[in-house]
Amino acid sequence: MGLLDSEAGKRRLLSVEVPVIERYNVGRDPEFRIRMVRQGCNLVLCYRLMPTHNPYDLETRLYSSYPMVPPETRVLTPLRHCPHLLEGQTLCLWRQGSTRTTSRWDPAKFTAVFAIQAAWRWLACYELWHETGEWPLPEAK
Amino acid sequence: MPSIVQVGAGSGGMVVLDLASRDERVTRITLIEPDEYKARNVARHYFGGEAVGMPKARLAAAWLQNVRPDLDVQVLQLDLTAADAQPAIENAIQSADLGVCAVDNEPAKYHWDALMRKHAKPWTLGEVLSGGIGGFIHWFVPDGPCYGCVASFLQREVTVDKPATPDYSQPGGVVAEVTVPASKTSIHAIASLHAQLTLQLLEHGMAGENKGFDPGFTSLLFTLASVPDVFEEAYRPHRLRIARSAECLICRPPPLSSSEDLDVALDQALARLGHA
Repeated sequence: MGLLDSEAGKRRLLSVEVPVIERYNVGRDPEFRIRMVRQGCNLVLCYRLMPTHNPYDLETRLYSSYPMVPPETRVLTPLRHCPHLLEGQTLCLWRQGSTRTTSRWDPAKFTAVFAIQAAWRWLACYELWHETGEWPLPEAK
Repeated sequence: MPSIVQVGAGSGGMVVLDLASRDERVTRITLIEPDEYKARNVARHYFGGEAVGMPKARLAAAWLQNVRPDLDVQVLQLDLTAADAQPAIENAIQSADLGVCAVDNEPAKYHWDALMRKHAKPWTLGEVLSGGIGGFIHWFVPDGPCYGCVASFLQREVTVDKPATPDYSQPGGVVAEVTVPASKTSIHAIASLHAQLTLQLLEHGMAGENKGFDPGFTSLLFTLASVPDVFEEAYRPHRLRIARSAECLICRPPPLSSSEDLDVALDQALARLGHA
């Protein structure tokens, strides 16, 4: 039962995700807007973030079981060595774990734009870590 | 005549099935369970090694018929979330009075919740915590809090686990999720509470009073062990009343559209956002 082929999935997209993405894009420079592309039974959000001086290209993947399964975000721009970074430059955002107690993802409260905001925060931490050697979010330690 | 539709016949689900079937007011049970019985199931399940390799649904049905030969037992050896299984599953839900969820993965719980809300059925859920240190039982009715409302609240407000901090210092590091199997006794303790709650909700519904049901909680956390930084005391009930959340993205009402309208609207949205 998928995001793109179930009634519940389509309603979630149309009533929650698409409106928040369109609100995010309002007034934003075109190169920083979110584009949403269908890839099979998944959706991919392509966008650029610039927490300080450096632009990063990213993609956030909404899998077929989204939002019950958290979105997966990876940075396409090459990154240097750092913690909280998984294989393929995938960001560690929600703590690993598929149970309610081991994951920080909450499908009842979070949207795809929340995931993008979390990615922004991750990149800000990444830049700070390279300057100071300290990952600034204590709950991530 | 009261009938139950249940998803899951694992070590906990089988306990609920067995106890529910012994209530002679229950006349029909429909079981949704796609899995085969495995050797690793034997330690915590009802069936012995001779049952390994057989469908759990068939084993469960035979067990129930043995306990209650007059019970109408239907089995659907289907994956709850498989697209091609939905017509049969929805048909089973439509003709039942109450649902029971005995699965242990989050996507399946949300999917069950959506089906129960779609067909306006009350349902119950039982969950045993990692290590069997305790467990939850929950009940849901139409227009009440959904599983999303409950899960969101519990994630924020209730600590049931203090896993060791993973080592995030190395790039590419993957932290394996560790779930400690619960003992058979802890599974039976929580599943028995689940069965008790289910039969009480069913009885309430039989009296035509789904809306007045109040066992003193919407979710009950029952501790079975004292765990430092998690549970102060063993054998302590925590009664939680969780209200429906107006901000819940799972159950807040969507705009009314037909299926065709949804497809058209989605295609239009993808066209707009594909060129944003």
